[in-house]
Amino acid sequence: MADLLHEIEAQIAGVKATTAKQNVGVIREIGDGVARIEGLADAMLNEMIDLGHGITGLALNLDETEVGVIILGDYTQLHEGDEARATGKLLQVPVGKGLLGRVVNTLGEPVDGKGPIKSDVAYPVEKVAPGIIRRSPVRQPVQTGIMAIDAMIPIGRGQRELIIGDRSTGKTTLCIDTIISQAGLNKAAEAAGDKDYRPLYCIYVAIGQKQSSIAQTITVLEKADAMPYTIVLDSSASDSVANQYLAPFAGAAMGEWFMDHGMDALIIYDDLSKHAVAYRQISLVLKRPSGREAYPGDVFYLHSRLLERAARVGEKYGNGSLTALPIIETKAGDVSAYIPTNVISITDGQIYLETDLFYQGIRPAISVGLSVSRVGSAAQLKAMKQVAGQLKGDLAQFRELAAFAQFGSELDPKTQALIDRGKRIMEIFKQPQYSPVPVEVQVAVIGAVQGGYLDDVPVDRVKDFQVRLTEFLTTRKTELLGKIAREKTLSEALTAELKAAVNQFKQTWK
Amino acid sequence: MKTTRQIKREAKRLFRWCLVNGLLDAGRARQVVQRIIDGKRRGGLALLSQFQRLVKLDCARHTAEVESAMPLPPDFRASIQAGLARVYGPGISASFAHNPGLIGGMRIKVGSDVYDGSVRARLAALEKGF
Repeated sequence: MADLLHEIEAQIAGVKATTAKQNVGVIREIGDGVARIEGLADAMLNEMIDLGHGITGLALNLDETEVGVIILGDYTQLHEGDEARATGKLLQVPVGKGLLGRVVNTLGEPVDGKGPIKSDVAYPVEKVAPGIIRRSPVRQPVQTGIMAIDAMIPIGRGQRELIIGDRSTGKTTLCIDTIISQAGLNKAAEAAGDKDYRPLYCIYVAIGQKQSSIAQTITVLEKADAMPYTIVLDSSASDSVANQYLAPFAGAAMGEWFMDHGMDALIIYDDLSKHAVAYRQISLVLKRPSGREAYPGDVFYLHSRLLERAARVGEKYGNGSLTALPIIETKAGDVSAYIPTNVISITDGQIYLETDLFYQGIRPAISVGLSVSRVGSAAQLKAMKQVAGQLKGDLAQFRELAAFAQFGSELDPKTQALIDRGKRIMEIFKQPQYSPVPVEVQVAVIGAVQGGYLDDVPVDRVKDFQVRLTEFLTTRKTELLGKIAREKTLSEALTAELKAAVNQFKQTWK
Repeated sequence: MKTTRQIKREAKRLFRWCLVNGLLDAGRARQVVQRIIDGKRRGGLALLSQFQRLVKLDCARHTAEVESAMPLPPDFRASIQAGLARVYGPGISASFAHNPGLIGGMRIKVGSDVYDGSVRARLAALEKGF
């Protein structure tokens, strides 16, 4: 009882403070999630506005006599003539490890019915990205577990790699695979008590998606036991546009907490095309001047300031990192549309997924020719670089020669060998969804292909060979795989051992 | 047909003409309204309503609405007025109203600034605190 009394007394003391000046306004116009408020003469840009009924807004337009406010919450409860107050605060979201394993909305409120979130720190949604002094080059790899990516388009911690493609080409699956792979690696390192391993926490921001797809994604993550290392930020298509617009910024704030505390985080924005559409709607309703395709003039800045927040900071500043994987959906493979070109130019490379490849059965449908990683190769494992260094070039040659081969003309043996090798590499990179491959297995398998051990295996049996070889290595040659993982480079002795292992396997394989 | 933006711009120009030493001159404002009505121009009504809005906002900036739970004695009113003049300059006028809904204390509103020292506001803040 005494506690309660103290609490009430403290509350009253807080309220008793002298009458302070408040800045108020009156709602003049409301609709489509946007209100125009007359008054609020001292409102700041991006300031939270208290609209009553427990609803907050965000001041986005500061005009001479009125303020344009986007409403975060149910705007149908508000009416013309209602009073609005400036709060003097910027929009903040809870951050910290308490959010891991949870599904939250844009404001960081739980939506998974698992009770309140344990977090006593909040970060502002809009934050200036780390400057050049704080940054350091990208050096550590993000093991996505997808062979084609880890071998040819490596991603480093702190990089921004765009995933671009038409609808249903496996963009989200690629990201979910990466999350599952990280969870597997984090768990393995925890189990082994590896102090040097830096766990990578994942944040999945769903913007303007169907609730059913988000629910499915969460189910997949739960099944793969990846949720303990993941935060899901859900801003579905039924959410207000204001929430959809703010969702990636809120996610970035959550990721920045990990970065600021010397940890590594990976954030997936799924997808930024819908985000641009949400921002266009807000801008049009706020009567901002529109430009190309009716997007406002600052749509480039919208994405550049968001993606610039992904960084690797130097050791002096905590050595944390935030890696961003934005997703862009193209229409009919058109990468030269407005938003795709914007985001391509902002990011440090792109992974391009093609519908044709997808229906040819090449899944993940990564177009190796169009995909690049501008900084990731510095982060690639040395062992991987040793075995996969030639791959991109080999595949480029293969594609060129494959066009000739279609005419059925006679080919010289060297060209034929190149084509055969290319076909086998394409087979090796086919991978079922939600089954990431550990990097040491990737090194061993690609090493076997490049060593010519698969040249006498028929193309339609390459996949079977790969599966069996992986089985053989993970059950009988764990020591060898462990050595590759530890040493991170293929010494001569290790190469010989790997060759011997593959030879031994080939004798038993039929 | 004039666009809304043109009308807004014109209304602002007229409003600026009505300012004498930074304060709205009532005579000039009346003159403007009369001239627009007499001119019978197209879009005159829209211009008038825009002008009226600017005058209304200016009035709100220079008028303090003082609400109190009980009627205030004249000397107290004078001291409030003097206090307001000290903060907002000499051009400010005050209108006093009696509002028992405040329960106690008073509430002063000048433009978008509000000084709320009423019991009702404190109770509302307390409710929010819980």
